[in-house]
Amino acid sequence: MKRLLAPLMVLILLAASALVADRPLPRADLVILNRGEVSTLDATQMSWLQDFRVAVMLFDGLTRYDLDSPDLAPIPALASSWESSPDATTYTFHLRDARWSNGDPITSHDFIYSWRRSLLPENAADYAKLFQLIKGGKEFYTWRSSALAEFTASGSSDRDAAARVLWDRTLAEFDRVVGLHTPDDRTLIVELERPTPYFLDVVSFVAFAPQHPASIRAHERLDPRTGAMTTSPGWTQPGTLITSGAFTLETWRFKRDMRLARNPNYWDASSISIRSIAIPVIADANAQVLASRSGAVDWTSDITPGYRGELVKLKTRFDAEHAAEIARLAAAGLSQSQIDEQLPDDPRNRVHAFPSFGTYFYNFNCRPSLAGGLPNPFADARVRRAFAMCVDKAALTGSIRRIGEPPAGSFIPPRSIARYPAPDGLPFEPGGARALLQQAGYPAGKGLPTIELLYNSEGEHDQIAQAIAKTWERELGVEVRLIRKEVRTFREDVKSGRFMISRASWFGDYGDPTTFLDTCRTGDGNNDRGYSSPEYDNLLDAASRELDPSRRFELLSRAESLLVEQDLPLLPLFHYSQLYMYDPRRVKGVSAHPRQVQYLHRLRLEGSP
Amino acid sequence: MMRFILRRLAQVPATLLAIYTLTVLLAWAVPGNPLENPEGPQPPPEAVEAMKARYNLDSTWRFYWSYLDGASGVGSLRDAIAGRDRPGPVFDLGPSLQYRDQTVGGIISQSLPVSVSVGAAAILIALVLGLAAGISGALRPGGWLDQLTLSFAMLGVSIPAFVVGTVLLMVAASWLGLGIVGKWGTPEGLLFPALTLGMPYAAYVARLSREGMIEALASDYVRTARAKGLSPVRVVMVHALRNALLPVVTFLGPACAGAMTGSFVVESIFALPGLGQHFVAAVQNKDLFLIIGVVMTFSTMLVLFNLAVDVMYRWIDPRTVRE
Repeated sequence: MKRLLAPLMVLILLAASALVADRPLPRADLVILNRGEVSTLDATQMSWLQDFRVAVMLFDGLTRYDLDSPDLAPIPALASSWESSPDATTYTFHLRDARWSNGDPITSHDFIYSWRRSLLPENAADYAKLFQLIKGGKEFYTWRSSALAEFTASGSSDRDAAARVLWDRTLAEFDRVVGLHTPDDRTLIVELERPTPYFLDVVSFVAFAPQHPASIRAHERLDPRTGAMTTSPGWTQPGTLITSGAFTLETWRFKRDMRLARNPNYWDASSISIRSIAIPVIADANAQVLASRSGAVDWTSDITPGYRGELVKLKTRFDAEHAAEIARLAAAGLSQSQIDEQLPDDPRNRVHAFPSFGTYFYNFNCRPSLAGGLPNPFADARVRRAFAMCVDKAALTGSIRRIGEPPAGSFIPPRSIARYPAPDGLPFEPGGARALLQQAGYPAGKGLPTIELLYNSEGEHDQIAQAIAKTWERELGVEVRLIRKEVRTFREDVKSGRFMISRASWFGDYGDPTTFLDTCRTGDGNNDRGYSSPEYDNLLDAASRELDPSRRFELLSRAESLLVEQDLPLLPLFHYSQLYMYDPRRVKGVSAHPRQVQYLHRLRLEGSP
Repeated sequence: MMRFILRRLAQVPATLLAIYTLTVLLAWAVPGNPLENPEGPQPPPEAVEAMKARYNLDSTWRFYWSYLDGASGVGSLRDAIAGRDRPGPVFDLGPSLQYRDQTVGGIISQSLPVSVSVGAAAILIALVLGLAAGISGALRPGGWLDQLTLSFAMLGVSIPAFVVGTVLLMVAASWLGLGIVGKWGTPEGLLFPALTLGMPYAAYVARLSREGMIEALASDYVRTARAKGLSPVRVVMVHALRNALLPVVTFLGPACAGAMTGSFVVESIFALPGLGQHFVAAVQNKDLFLIIGVVMTFSTMLVLFNLAVDVMYRWIDPRTVRE
């Protein structure tokens, strides 16, 4: 019988090991809850907001945004000054004497190395397109793509050596065609493909921050089969990640927590008062709210429990009680977050709904025929317009979303880009919609096939689709079938055009209308709609040649009104709100700007948690 | 005994290879491209092709062999012999396609210890509660104690973990004033998840040990032991228990493997950084390397625990050695 005790002892030891090995760390100065786990700290691979939010604490670029200015004007970061040619095609940046977290100097060559990584097709950078604003960027990208395909197909015997030769040729080709120059260690000259007045805004985006070449090179390896330069993960881990920003990565326990510590070598270290930042991962929405209420967490990025509508309603009621004061502060030029900081202490004033840089919309398939060769009624813009005029958007945001999001007339959220005049879009007008359908040859919906509405099963898309389908059936006399699919399958269908109408959303990346409008260009990789209009493309082309900012915005606005008032390849439904949770009496300096950029490491903390 | 263990260990690679083959084929059939974002900006098509080639996702066959080559350590061995330096671990389980900074090996080595601890604690709880309930009930079948333990066992089997977990969470938070979510590393952070996870196992152990004990107590050798005048405690705890435990031990093999590879439900309720969440998330993301990694981890543990069970059998009941 004593023999039985041995396995029991093993079990006890295994259970107890957790208590010995895993002691919780002390509370950090700032504790934030991000949306989900960070997927990568490699700037070339990022595309999620939660990754960018952490990346800006670790990496500085040439410039960064001034969160207090209405257009997020670029201000100096690693570049202390810059000048641009009058036609906005050449930018010269002068770097300050800044150092990496390990003490190495940050040079102009580090930028070339990092930007080249984003332009290598094997790295599949989500923002490769932004780097193709640089002169020769696209040419290099295409050249390398075909060189790699050729290499994979070729039957050379010593593939290691051949891959090395191809790599050397690639470096030479990059230097030859790409308009990046480094006259010295502290000067970076960037030539652009065409006038790009928003280039400084793009450069402030953290995907353009430099990375530490030596630590990445130690993880690089040429793949003898494909000739690609592959980077194995490992250089972005605590201890190996070298940063240029205010913080360094102290620990990162996957799906558990991340801890950042102040970077003593940061050029602007004196402006940072927070010493440590903890970013725990709590997946459950309810647990997030509880953690925030208990003071264990200072700032929560997205609150998603089912009762969030009630939380927002309480906040709206609180705002109504202080309407006079809010009006006075707003008149004094304070932003929404600054106003919240001034209001009296109240548990209802912990939830903050700010406008965002994203739009929820439906795609219409604009291709001449549907998958399988069936005729596509939505190839006719009148049909698209009719369906678009038959959606009660205010009812969607009021009774389904219930967090005060504005119904969307335009694709680009209004007021998110300073001085850009957004078009109004179409009104809710079932009568006009029926007339349009009649014109298109479908009187009272007769002759139309069953309309298929495709969406993914996550989130509240179901309720929204049902409400819209009901209105269409009632007002247009059509039959609507809802098709709900798991997100990856959904994505496949949308990409290959196997849909009539599909759910979609888009968040802008930089402060120019093209960050939205380019997705409707003929042949654009993000043009899921298959929309192709020479008139639209011409307007965008004309805007890209236009140097006068206000005339340029006018052209872009005309292009957008083509989208949302005339051709309707997409049907804007509402603009997202970002829901934060924090105590404005303690946490100060949160930005309410719709662009959603936050420098959380620069928050001012008052009092104890 | 040693020969028995070695012989069984020699069968492990063949079993795992079969499971690996099946997993690759099934995971390959899952629709969707892991290299594309479900929403938001899409990488250019040339880039997706280049990435597919890089991870061997353009051919099932090539993927099958290259993964096997890396994961089994053969690739490292070959490179070492050829004198090529190869970055990365000897047993390369590949990268995570969703979490690009993580390797599958890294994810498993971080999360498996957590799951093993919680699982071990859960099995301990299951054994203590289950055996106590089962044996005490079996002493007087049909008596009030038996009825009581049987109904608890029935509840334990039928109430799902998300109910037990949520109730425990509320009890801990509102009655005991303990915040136990995300408290991994503290005693309460271990106890409550282990209780939630252990309850169904305890119920099974109770039922199995009760049956076994009733059967053992009715057998001839127990009557003989009683007739010899041995104390009732000794008869039950030494003579009868040995046989009564056999079904429990059989059950423990798969139970340990199941409990120690994590539970999605328990991990999400208590925000535990364990392995269970990856089973679900990996499939949702079509994270091919991670799917294979977690399935192979589970299979390896299952095979090893079953081996351990067979070894324990021989310890408890030497008759099984006869073959």
